[in-house]
Amino acid sequence: MTSASVETDLELTAVHADAPAVRPRAAAAVVRAGLVWTLIRTDFKARYHGSLGGFVWALLKPLSMFLVLMAVFSFLFASNPNYKLDLIVGLFLWDFFAEATKTGLTSLHARGFLLTKARFPSWILVVTSISNAVITLGVFAVIITIFLAAAGRAPHGQAVALFLAYCGALVAIVVGFSLATSVLFLRYRDLNQVWDVAVQAGFFVAPIIYPLGIIPERFHIYLYVWPPTPVIEFSRAALVAGTVPTATAHICLAVDAALCLAAGIAIFRRFAPRAAEYL
Amino acid sequence: MAASLVEVNGVSKAFRIPSVQRQTVREHVFGVLQPRRFDRLAVLDDVSFELRRGEALGIMGRNGCGKSTLLKIVCGVYPADRGTVVTRAPITPILELGVGWNPELDAVDNVFLIGSVMGLTLGEIRASVDEILAFAELEKFANLKLKHYSSGMSSRLAYSVAFKAVREILVLDEIFAVGDAGFKARCEERYRQLRAAGRTVLIVSHDPRTIASFCDRAVLLDGGRIVATGEADKVAERYVSVLTQGNRATTPQAHASA
Repeated sequence: MTSASVETDLELTAVHADAPAVRPRAAAAVVRAGLVWTLIRTDFKARYHGSLGGFVWALLKPLSMFLVLMAVFSFLFASNPNYKLDLIVGLFLWDFFAEATKTGLTSLHARGFLLTKARFPSWILVVTSISNAVITLGVFAVIITIFLAAAGRAPHGQAVALFLAYCGALVAIVVGFSLATSVLFLRYRDLNQVWDVAVQAGFFVAPIIYPLGIIPERFHIYLYVWPPTPVIEFSRAALVAGTVPTATAHICLAVDAALCLAAGIAIFRRFAPRAAEYL
Repeated sequence: MAASLVEVNGVSKAFRIPSVQRQTVREHVFGVLQPRRFDRLAVLDDVSFELRRGEALGIMGRNGCGKSTLLKIVCGVYPADRGTVVTRAPITPILELGVGWNPELDAVDNVFLIGSVMGLTLGEIRASVDEILAFAELEKFANLKLKHYSSGMSSRLAYSVAFKAVREILVLDEIFAVGDAGFKARCEERYRQLRAAGRTVLIVSHDPRTIASFCDRAVLLDGGRIVATGEADKVAERYVSVLTQGNRATTPQAHASA
């Protein structure tokens, strides 16, 4: 039975029996897709009060930051002709990382009221919580492209493909982090404050406002442990400098992303079954 | 076709109550040298029952006897410590009225949210959202954010969505405890329609009249154990006698100070 015929059945029997008692597997997938879409839609609506104007504010935050930082630091790093482009790539990727991890961390708590309603895969609540940040990142990507084109270096196909792959890795890292911390936050209610501090310090650990080159090379390995660093550096290489990082570098990033995601899933599976008891 | 839709086999559940609550990283770090005791609060002890297709089963017991915890385990919201729950049909629960809404969204969006969690497709919700709002008498407030709703209004909405979403098993915590007389009457009418359509119901209540009038069978829960099973009115009578005698039906595990 297809989902379409289920709905037809429903219309015929709506007065008495409502939803069909037994749902075929395909229809269950339709229900899940509907849940994902509703979560994304209502999240967007609640956050930006259903208006495009609200969304513009989300874009203005890193843009205003960009203007201020550029005004100040482009004098300091005047010798680097790519500084402005490097800065905007770094800031936008960082803004995604900071926003998405903060939202993901509190996602299960914020949407906990749904956990006690029925049994359903609760990871959907966590993964969809970063949808807003992903939408913003998509808009950022367009803005970055416009900036690059204005600077006379519109990215070609390979650079765009690499950048998308790096964004994919960053999303995997953020999803892993969110899965792990969303369940832990229910037990440790100041985890969001701890993370706020870490994010604030992390902004300076990642080479966003300064070029990585000013740090002695023996320290680079430590900076690369902080996940935003390789994503930002590789994206700059592909989009701004027009170079391709080494295969080893790509493998390291892929392993990093896979490990974060795997650890997140493992921690979530360990703690999620009892999540409702900690709400 | 299996005779029972839900089988609860030897379910036990205990909560660990720490002597000191530590809910933050800071408290855990600073408390690392001060070990804390854990008291075990046994809420359910070896509970077994079955819910048969098409019947209405009541679970009764006084406040704090483990009724709501048992419901949450049956609905899959809490895991059991020991024992198993086998469910052979989709369950639509109404648990914990008053919570369960996003206060920043209006009624229509909340209906979409809760409806899709309860297993309705978007098409089904779209087709029935007007009916859901009408049943709850909230058509005029469809676009009002839930934070402006009264507790009665949001409870009526909760009942209305669940009544619409129920597919096979309806689980009710304190049935019809909300709304004015008119809404209660409509709930009862809807309840009888669902029963007539062959739906299976699990009701929790501490009110013997509710159990006697809405259920076929009932189990009496006391101190986390099932102490009586049988026809609803008989079990309700037993419950009343337990209450009026003022003593527990089983050996007491703890005495509250009088």
